Amino acid sequence: MGESKNGITVKDCINIGVFAAIYIVVFFITSFVGYIPVLMVILGILCSITTGIPLMLFFSKSHTFGMITAFSVILGLFMVLMGRPWYSILIALVTGLASDYIMQIGKYKSINKAVVSSGVFSLWMIGMTLPMFFGDREAYFESIREGYGDAFVDVLYRLTPNWMFYVMTVLTFIGGILGGLLGRAVLKKHFMKAGMV
Amino acid sequence: MDISINTFNTSGDRALLDPRTSIYAIIVISVVMIGGRLSGIEYILRVISCMIPVVFLFAKKNYKLGMIYFLLALLAMIIEGSAIQTSSGFLNLLLVIISGTISRFVPQFMMAYCFMSYTKVSELIVSLEKMHLPDVVIISLAVMFRFFPTIAEENRCVVDAMNMRKTKTKKFSLIERLEYQIVPIMMQSVRIADELSQAAMTKGLGINIHRTHICEVGFRYRDYLMIILLTAILLLFFIY
Amino acid sequence: MIDINNVTYTYNVTDAMGKRVERIALKNFSLNVKEGQVVVLTGGSGCGKSTVLRLINGLIPHYFAGELHGDVKVNNINVSTNPIYDTAKIVGTVFQNPKNQFFNVDSTSELAFNAENFGRNPDMIINDIDRVSSWMNLNPLIDRSMFELSGGEKQKIACASIAVADTPIIVLDEPTSNLDARGIEKLRKVIALWKKQKKTIIIAEHRLYFLKGLADRVLILKDGEIKKKMNGTVFDALSIAETTKLGLRAVNIEKISDKVRAITAKRTLGKRYISIENLEYVYPDGEHGISRKKLDIPTGAIVCIVGDNGKGKSTLAKCLCGLNKKAKGRVIYDTKQLPLRNMLEHCFMVMQDVNYQLFTESVNDEIQLSVDSKIEEECVNKSNEAMKMLDIEDLPKLHPMALSGGQKQRVALACAVASSKEILILDEPTSGLDYYHMIEVARVLKMLTDNNRTVIVITHDIELVNECADYVIEM
Repeated sequence: MGESKNGITVKDCINIGVFAAIYIVVFFITSFVGYIPVLMVILGILCSITTGIPLMLFFSKSHTFGMITAFSVILGLFMVLMGRPWYSILIALVTGLASDYIMQIGKYKSINKAVVSSGVFSLWMIGMTLPMFFGDREAYFESIREGYGDAFVDVLYRLTPNWMFYVMTVLTFIGGILGGLLGRAVLKKHFMKAGMV
Repeated sequence: MDISINTFNTSGDRALLDPRTSIYAIIVISVVMIGGRLSGIEYILRVISCMIPVVFLFAKKNYKLGMIYFLLALLAMIIEGSAIQTSSGFLNLLLVIISGTISRFVPQFMMAYCFMSYTKVSELIVSLEKMHLPDVVIISLAVMFRFFPTIAEENRCVVDAMNMRKTKTKKFSLIERLEYQIVPIMMQSVRIADELSQAAMTKGLGINIHRTHICEVGFRYRDYLMIILLTAILLLFFIY
Repeated sequence: MIDINNVTYTYNVTDAMGKRVERIALKNFSLNVKEGQVVVLTGGSGCGKSTVLRLINGLIPHYFAGELHGDVKVNNINVSTNPIYDTAKIVGTVFQNPKNQFFNVDSTSELAFNAENFGRNPDMIINDIDRVSSWMNLNPLIDRSMFELSGGEKQKIACASIAVADTPIIVLDEPTSNLDARGIEKLRKVIALWKKQKKTIIIAEHRLYFLKGLADRVLILKDGEIKKKMNGTVFDALSIAETTKLGLRAVNIEKISDKVRAITAKRTLGKRYISIENLEYVYPDGEHGISRKKLDIPTGAIVCIVGDNGKGKSTLAKCLCGLNKKAKGRVIYDTKQLPLRNMLEHCFMVMQDVNYQLFTESVNDEIQLSVDSKIEEECVNKSNEAMKMLDIEDLPKLHPMALSGGQKQRVALACAVASSKEILILDEPTSGLDYYHMIEVARVLKMLTDNNRTVIVITHDIELVNECADYVIEM
């Protein structure tokens, strides 16, 4: 893990930017799977597993409070610029602060805390699935009720219940942990041996 | 897997809109298109919102994409405006899926695409500074946008190297492919990040230093017009 | 202008085993440079010349971790206590890798970047960009994407952004490492202009020929100490024999030697040829391309392809080994006729940046992966054979990325040997190498042809050509 210095330096900013770019590329490639509708449900878990590798490498480069939050906020900001729901950035801010806090407990050196932190961090993704649930959903179903007839809409409504949201959240968290473990394995196998961490 | 990502404008032209206006437009369009109803005033707002990107595509002389998007959006709007209300059963479901995937996802992507194609990274940076975001976020964001094309370049080299290593008897499994592709790219990225940090420091970049900018960013008449239009849409959307 | 007094510097680094190691880079080093001087620092890899530059631009102690004794003053300012963004206003730096030192996506923003960081008036910066672009001929490079520029052009932008920032001192850290002959010539012109403008310039470099007539003082370093000093006139007159004796790259070199030409003229080396016919490739831009009616490459020899055709050489290498799927052509090899892309079955390319080619967690795995067989015993035997041949038998357990550049190159070559591919293509194998390592590469290549392999070297390094070529093709 990085050396403990105070404050975020230019070097840290560059690490944040570089790994955010890799993270997003891995995220987007994985989320192509989401074009198959049935797999939409496991998209969260898939994305959080694959992005675990760059995320853990980034965690190994972080050494002070704020770096992980900034990383998360940038992901959220980018998603908003790409036209995803605007509140993604707020959720990213919260999950970023939380995982930064977990890393701080381990003084940014504990690799086990980093795995947990990876699980929490991955929860930023749920911001993007929110429109399928809760408030917006009512509006959506109300608006199609006129055309469908009540019976049909009710069936559809039951098929995508709100508890699915919690299932997806839990799945994403588990994916984040698995991704953290995968990232840890890759770090050990390659980066530590190569003397790059 | 071949990655190619082109981000942002590199020509010398000034952006059509101030980046802040563009970001506002993306947000308003996504709010209206994702959450809006298919009838009443919200339907009219949806029609207006989804046509905004068409204006910018044409203004950028991207006629082909502009036409394609215009026709798609028009189709979706016509289906939503008439066919869905009158049909029923399976046909209705099919129409909802078709028009829904277009109208609820494409318009904000299109606006984001327009925004990227006419805005320079430096313009975005200046406007984010004007929005008083912290320096750490701004510098990191600039590095991120600069790094997307680098990942594409690095990836091309790694794919070449992998093709060279293929033999008749050995094929790489999916996991191996992933490992052999992601790990070298990340290793190179660590090295590049290191060299980039050194370069940035010797170029005088620092956190919380006073910087100036040669690119012009600021509101013009068209920005005010756009902001008024977008705010009107948003207000009507929330009131009704 | 620059006063380095009695500096000793030790890097704190982690080695391949993850242990903390101290590496002494400079010992009691002193250097005083007056305004307007051009000073060249040279010597083998790891001699400490880059460290001197890092002392001047402030990366030591502000970026690198280590122990610094003695003091460094630039313009009477103490570099180690001055914030590095202030030192940047006095010292401009050009690095060795053009693609990793720019910060912006478009070239104009990059030109203004340094000056913007200094907080200079925007109108003044725009004026300066106009002024610099007229004396450096930058017009074709303005408002372009940095990613479509060649290495030489990127390096020119890096120089130009320093010119816009107008720093009195400029340091260049192996600036030609990744440049072709054309790029080097461009760089030479820029340095000559700076010299006229009375800038103080410090260059650390292996390649010396392009500095002829520019250097005022030359220091040769070894193990962190000054081994020899000379002035510009003595440096300019160094013969090849003298530089070889000093272990340096040549100062006076223009041509491919008569000896190599004589061998080429005989054309009797290989009685067999690989013939490539109607080679045709057009770049994605649709304008430029490579086209060649016939290319005969003798087998079992070191064939150097030289020539100054801008960015086409790496593309040619890719075409030859069949990686470029869009390249058209036909190959006659071993009396068989194949389409160009089938060359991939016979060819192995060692890329200019060998880092891309190493995937696995140990040298042993890396080489065994290349063996075209499923039988484990055969894999082990062939990989051991290859390691023995390339003299890397003591490395099998190490991670490839923990090795030095030269060792990595050998691992890649060992992969090629183990894969039983008979044609090896090397793209600029000696760019950025010092004299000793260049000679090493030449020796390894000769060894490979002794084993009946065909080695194609695509290079603009005339010294390497003179050292090892059996046959030269000029494009």
